[in-house]
Amino acid sequence: MDVFGSFALLLAFVCALYALLGGIAAILTRHPLLIKSARQAGIAACSLIFLATLSVVYLFVTDNFSMAYVASHSNRDLATFFKVVALWSGQEGSLLFWCFLLSVYIFSVLVAYRNKHGELMPYVGTILAGVQLFFLTITTFVANPFSVLAAAGPSGALEYITRPDGSGLRAVLQYPEMIIHPPNLYSGYTGFTIPFAFALAALLGRYPGEKWIHLTRRWTMIAWCFQTIGILLGAHWAYAVLGWGGYWGWDPVENASLLPWLTGTAFLHSVMMQEKRGMMKVWNVWLVFITFFLCILGTMLTRSGVVSSVHAFAQSNIGPWFVGFLIIIMTVCLAAYFKNRDYLKSENQLDSMVSRESSFLFNNLVLLVACVAVISGTLFPVFSEWFTGSKISVGAPFFNKVNIPLGLLLLFLTGVGPLLAWRKTSGESLRRNFLWPTVLGVVGGLAAFALGVHDFYALVCLLLCTFVAATIGLEFYRGAKVIHARSGMNWLSSAVELTLRNTRRYGGYIVHFGMVMIFVGLAGQAFNKEVQKEIPVGGTVKIGPYELLLQAMDQKQEKNFVAERMIVEVMHDHKPVMILFPERRNFPAGEESGTMVAIYSTMREDLYVVYAGVNQGSEVPTIHAFLNPLVKWVWFGGVVVVMGTIVALLPSRHAVLVLAGSKAPEASREFAGAVPSSVTLKEGHD
Amino acid sequence: MTRARRVLTIALILIVAGAPIAVVRVRAALDHAHELGKLVKCSCGGCEQSAGTCYHVGGAFSGPCDLAKTMIKEIQGHLDKGVSDDQVIKAMIAEYGPGAYVEPPKTGFGLVAWVMPSLYLFAGAVLVVFVIGRWRKRGVTAEAAAHDRATISPELLERARATARKATEE
Repeated sequence: MDVFGSFALLLAFVCALYALLGGIAAILTRHPLLIKSARQAGIAACSLIFLATLSVVYLFVTDNFSMAYVASHSNRDLATFFKVVALWSGQEGSLLFWCFLLSVYIFSVLVAYRNKHGELMPYVGTILAGVQLFFLTITTFVANPFSVLAAAGPSGALEYITRPDGSGLRAVLQYPEMIIHPPNLYSGYTGFTIPFAFALAALLGRYPGEKWIHLTRRWTMIAWCFQTIGILLGAHWAYAVLGWGGYWGWDPVENASLLPWLTGTAFLHSVMMQEKRGMMKVWNVWLVFITFFLCILGTMLTRSGVVSSVHAFAQSNIGPWFVGFLIIIMTVCLAAYFKNRDYLKSENQLDSMVSRESSFLFNNLVLLVACVAVISGTLFPVFSEWFTGSKISVGAPFFNKVNIPLGLLLLFLTGVGPLLAWRKTSGESLRRNFLWPTVLGVVGGLAAFALGVHDFYALVCLLLCTFVAATIGLEFYRGAKVIHARSGMNWLSSAVELTLRNTRRYGGYIVHFGMVMIFVGLAGQAFNKEVQKEIPVGGTVKIGPYELLLQAMDQKQEKNFVAERMIVEVMHDHKPVMILFPERRNFPAGEESGTMVAIYSTMREDLYVVYAGVNQGSEVPTIHAFLNPLVKWVWFGGVVVVMGTIVALLPSRHAVLVLAGSKAPEASREFAGAVPSSVTLKEGHD
Repeated sequence: MTRARRVLTIALILIVAGAPIAVVRVRAALDHAHELGKLVKCSCGGCEQSAGTCYHVGGAFSGPCDLAKTMIKEIQGHLDKGVSDDQVIKAMIAEYGPGAYVEPPKTGFGLVAWVMPSLYLFAGAVLVVFVIGRWRKRGVTAEAAAHDRATISPELLERARATARKATEE
C-alpha cells in the first residue's frame, strides 16, 4: 500500500503539472481539446490525491511501522479513530491532507462548471492547478509521508526496518477536537483558493462584469464559515487541554488562522459595494489576493519554524519553498493587476458621508488595521532580532491592548452599518433607526455600571453589545411586522418567513448576533478569578461561590495511557453540585504527560479545575481552579454565527405570481392585497 | 402595539440584555504574584508562554515547569519586600534579559510596535475620508452633467434603473 500511495502521489504531481502547462497552452491557443484535457488532468490529479490520502490512513490503521510517518505518530494501543486522524498530526501527513481538501474544492469547481463560463474556466483551472502543483511538489519531494524507515546493515548498505511499535500520538492531540478542528481549519484555508482563482482569472481574462463575484460568493462564505468553526474549535481545544484557563493566547499559530479570517470578513462586506454600486473593484480583487496570500503565509509561519509556538509543527526545511511560492503569488497578482487594471475601473460615486458605503469602508479599515496589527505583532520578535540583534517578546498583553479597542470599534460599526441607507441617510431616518438602539445601549451600559462592571473595556463592550443586539432586533421586528400585518402569521412565523425571503440579509444579521454573543463572552474575561493551592485529601479550596472538596486521588488504567486523577466534589452555597475529575495522563509510548481539565460549565460561568501536579517534597497534590464568567457565550455565539452563515447560503424564497383559475386561499387573498382575484400567490425559490 | 405591550417588550429586552451583566459584577482578587507572572515570559525554552500561564505543553511533563514556579516565587519574594509592580518587572528583566517581558518596551525599537497600529488606523482613516470626499465630488459632478443635458438617453435611463433596482432589491 505504501508503494501504491507513493505512486498515486507521483502520478497526481504529473497530472497537476499537465493541468498547469496544458491549461496555459489552452488559454493561448483556445483549442477545445486542450481545454478539455487540462480540465480532465485536474480532475484526475484530485482523484489520485484521494487515493494517496486513503493509503496513508490504511497504513495507520494497519500499524505499518516500517513507514517513518506512521512510526512517529501512532502506536498499537492508540484508539482506531485516533489512528485515522493521525493522518494530520504531523508535517507530512497534514500537508497531504491539505492537498486532499484542496482537491475536494478543485474537483467540485471543475465538475460543477465544466459546461459553464467557457471564457473564465480555463484560467480558473490553470490557477488552481498551479496551487495544487505547489503543494504536491512539497508532499512528493520535500515532506513525503511515504518515506520508509531504513538503517545501515552489516554490509554498510541501507536496509529497510520495521519498528515493533510506534512513538504514539502527542498527548495534546489525543482529544476529540483533534478529529474535527484541523479539517475545519484547513477547509477554511484551502477554501479561499477558489475566490482567489476566480478573481485572478477574471483579471487575467478581462472577464466582464461582476460575474466572478457572484460565482464565488458562496465559495467564499463556505471557506469563511469553515475558518470560523476551525478557529473556535481550536480555541475550545486549547481551553480544554492546555490548562492555563484561557482559550485565546495570541499565539503565532492562533494569529495565523485569524489573519485570513479578518481579510475574508472584510471582503464579504466590501463585495456588497461592488454588487450594489459597482464600486471598489480594485479593493475587492486585492482583498481576495491578500486573503489567499495570508493563508499561505500562515501555513508557512506554522510549519517553517520562523516563529515559536506551542501549536507549531517541528522545524523543517519547507520554509524557503513557501517563501518562493509567496513571491510567485505576489508577482503574478501584481503583473495581472498592472496589465489589466483598466478593466477594474469603478463607478465610485458617493452621495453622502453618512451612508452604508461609508460604514463598509470604515469596517474594512478597522478589519485591515487589526490584521496588520496582528501580523506585525506576530513577526515583531523576528524583526527586532534582525534590526537590533535581540529578540523582543510580544505576548498576549500587547495584542489585547492593541486589538480590544479595534474590536469595540468594529462592534460599533456592526450596529451602525445595517441601519444606514445606501447612498444617503436622511436625518429623519437616522433618528428613527438609532433612537431605540441608542437608548437601550445607554440603559444597558448604566445597568452594567450599577451592577458593578467598572472595567472600562468590559463596560463599553456590554453597552455596545446591547446597542447592536437592539439594532438587529429592530430590523427583524420591522420586517416581521409587515408580514404579520399582511398575512396574519404569528410573530415567530413572520420572522422566519422574513428570513427566508432574504436569506442573505437576515442570515447576515444572525451572524452579527452571534458575534455579539461572542463579544459578551469576551467581556467576561475581565472578571476571571483563579486560585492555586496545595490541598491534602479532605481539604477544600474556595473560589467565588464554589467550594471544592478533594475527596480522593485515584488512578485509571486505559489502553494507551495511565491517568492519575483528583476526585473533586463541587459545592455551591454548601450544597453539592457535582463531582469533577481533573486528570494528568501519562502516555508511555511517547513518554509524555498531558493535562485533562475538568470543567463545570453554565451560561453564567465556567468552573475550570486543573490537577497541577504534586509537591515533590510534601507529596501534597496541587489544585488550580479558575472561575471564568460567560465563556459559554463564546461557544454558543460561534454556533449562532455558523447557523447564520448557513442561512445566508440558502437561496432566498420569494412570492411569485402564478396565474391560476383555482380559488385562492384566504390568507393568500389577504396577502395579495390589490392582486386580481384570478391570480394567486405561491411561494417559490430563486 | 399598545403602550403596555411596548413597556413589557422594553422590560423584556432589558432583562435579556442585563442577564450577562449580572453575572460579571464581582471583580476577582487574584493572586498578585501569579498575575505579574503573566507579564514575564517563561524562559524554560520548552514553551512560549508566560510564567503565569506555563503548562509546558508537549514536554515530558505537563504543568507549570520548575523554572516558571521559580520565577513566580521570585516575584512573590520581590512583592514581599514591598516593592512596586514596575520594580518587580524591572528586576525580572534585569535577571532574565529584555526578552523576559511579554510586552515590547515603550522605548527604542520596541516603541515601533506600539506606535504602528495607531498610525495605521490614523493613516487609514485619513485615506478613507479623503477617498469618500473624492467620490462625493465625482458624484456631484456627474449629477450636474446629467442635469445639464436636455434629454436623457434610454441607455442612461436603463442604467439608472438598474442601479436603483440593485440598490433596493434587498
